[in-house]
Amino acid sequence: MTTMTAIRPLPVRTRSAAPRPAAFNALRTLAARRFALSVRTPRELVVPLLTPVLFALVIAPALRDALGATHGGVDYMSFVALATVGLLIPLNTQFAGLSVIVDRLSGAQRELLAAPVRRALLVLGNLVVVVAITAVQLAVLVVLAAIRGATFDITAAGLAWFVGAVLLFTIGMYGIAEAMASRIGRQEEFISATPAVAIVPWFFAGSLFPISVLPGFLDVFAKFLPLTHALAVVRYGLMGARASGLTNIWGMSNPTAMAALSLGVVAVFAVLGVTLAVRTFSKAAVH
Amino acid sequence: MNDEIDGAAIEVQSLRKVYAGGVEAVRGIDFTVSRGEVFGLLGPNGAGKSTTIGILTTTVRPTGGAARVAGHDVVREPLAARAASSVVFQDQVLDLTLTGRRNVEIHSRLWNVGGAARIDELSATLGISDIIDRPVAIYSGGQRRRLEIARALVSDPQVLFLDEPTVGLDPRIRHELIDVIAGLRSTGMTILLTTHYLDEAERLCDRVAIMHEGEIVALDTPPALLASLGHEVVELRVRGDGSHALSMLRGRGIADDAAFVVGGTVTLPMRNGDAPEVVAAIRGMSLDITALATRQPSLDDVYLRLTGNTFAGAA
Repeated sequence: MTTMTAIRPLPVRTRSAAPRPAAFNALRTLAARRFALSVRTPRELVVPLLTPVLFALVIAPALRDALGATHGGVDYMSFVALATVGLLIPLNTQFAGLSVIVDRLSGAQRELLAAPVRRALLVLGNLVVVVAITAVQLAVLVVLAAIRGATFDITAAGLAWFVGAVLLFTIGMYGIAEAMASRIGRQEEFISATPAVAIVPWFFAGSLFPISVLPGFLDVFAKFLPLTHALAVVRYGLMGARASGLTNIWGMSNPTAMAALSLGVVAVFAVLGVTLAVRTFSKAAVH
Repeated sequence: MNDEIDGAAIEVQSLRKVYAGGVEAVRGIDFTVSRGEVFGLLGPNGAGKSTTIGILTTTVRPTGGAARVAGHDVVREPLAARAASSVVFQDQVLDLTLTGRRNVEIHSRLWNVGGAARIDELSATLGISDIIDRPVAIYSGGQRRRLEIARALVSDPQVLFLDEPTVGLDPRIRHELIDVIAGLRSTGMTILLTTHYLDEAERLCDRVAIMHEGEIVALDTPPALLASLGHEVVELRVRGDGSHALSMLRGRGIADDAAFVVGGTVTLPMRNGDAPEVVAAIRGMSLDITALATRQPSLDDVYLRLTGNTFAGAA
């Protein structure tokens, strides 16, 4: 233990004009902090990955064996394997939202709120890390699924659709998670709300079956879920138009147009999510 | 650097804060802190100290009035106000899994200042250089507090807010930290200090404001506040509530309106009277006295007279 027996004069000076950091530098610092905290907490990296990997590697092949390899010319295992993207992203972003509550309860957030940076950057700094971690996890998921037997048709254009959909959906879902974290006081309450946000929509969004087989009112409900659109674009990108389910959503004949419309829905969701997160956080930060 | 700040370092004018639900935490307070001054805000929990600091550090939005830090309005120019100041919070505010150095680096980057040499310099001075590269989770309470002070100083703030910096620390570490803060006095940095410990305020502060129920009930230098009680006080303890004893003392003309009671203790400031005569008069009364003494007045007496409270009860 260190003891302080004598206090030397403190090397302190004051200055009149403290230059504030550029927004990019502040964002980089905040993201680096969040990343350093995240990588020291394996829970945030591994736990969200467990269920989707289990689905992709165990349940998807089992469903294929039980129900048949192809349905309507679509490889069912690949169909389900990509559905796990819709499970991974919400779970991952919810876990990231939990860290915001930890920041607040531990008091660490107060130091950040006293910093000369716009408070929106605190949200965006977290978002950058969530996107980066999610990207790594998605790559792991897709590669493992491919190794297990899923077949993807990977082209540059398809990959762009996939990346666009998962990026925008991640942004939107993190916005929801951060807004929840700003409104919910305790970790236990946040965790209890997580299934409703991260898991329930997955069952209605055409994850395991096309939304056309849902009862009529649920079919309509599914079309309003951002996850339905995100999954459709993800499948359009890596499996083609037939597996995407875009026709069930839009009823049009041009797959590219339908994919663009669905991507637009996810983009609107992303913008609304981030806006909600920044507003909620800023409002909660100042009493 | 050591650039000059024009005018007051902190200006507070008619500042009010009413929280949702109608709780009026700050009721139109005014004070000014000059550059290089160490200013103390005293008062129990609920007095409005933390709300005042919250407004000055831009985490609480005022309902009325104005406040400026280093000349920057905290509502209209919050970023500039925050850039000119640092805070050591009452509760420890650190990323425990990160090293001490990383915690300070994050602050210095967000404030766009400093560097490794500056961090080494401060950590050496504050006696934490041998642990600065270890996770904060292993630090003792005193080491964490010193790290927080190093972090606050790394940005060379014009104004340093210290919100109850020694609360919860053991006496030895507390006295070490008082020495550290005392060392800041000579640097010319403006400090706004809140504390429950009146000895700290008496030792460290150029001026002290005593807050009670959202208002400033006294504001002066510690010697001037002490002088308001005269050169001596007579203190007697009685069994049970001291209010009855005080009434009797007033009835006999022994106690004036400066006298006050806390529990079973009655304190009589000797603003005009003579202590030996008062003691003799008290001994001649039929009071159930358990202790009777004279002593020098302290800031505790000033505080208790003005607020009718105890710090122990407020902590």
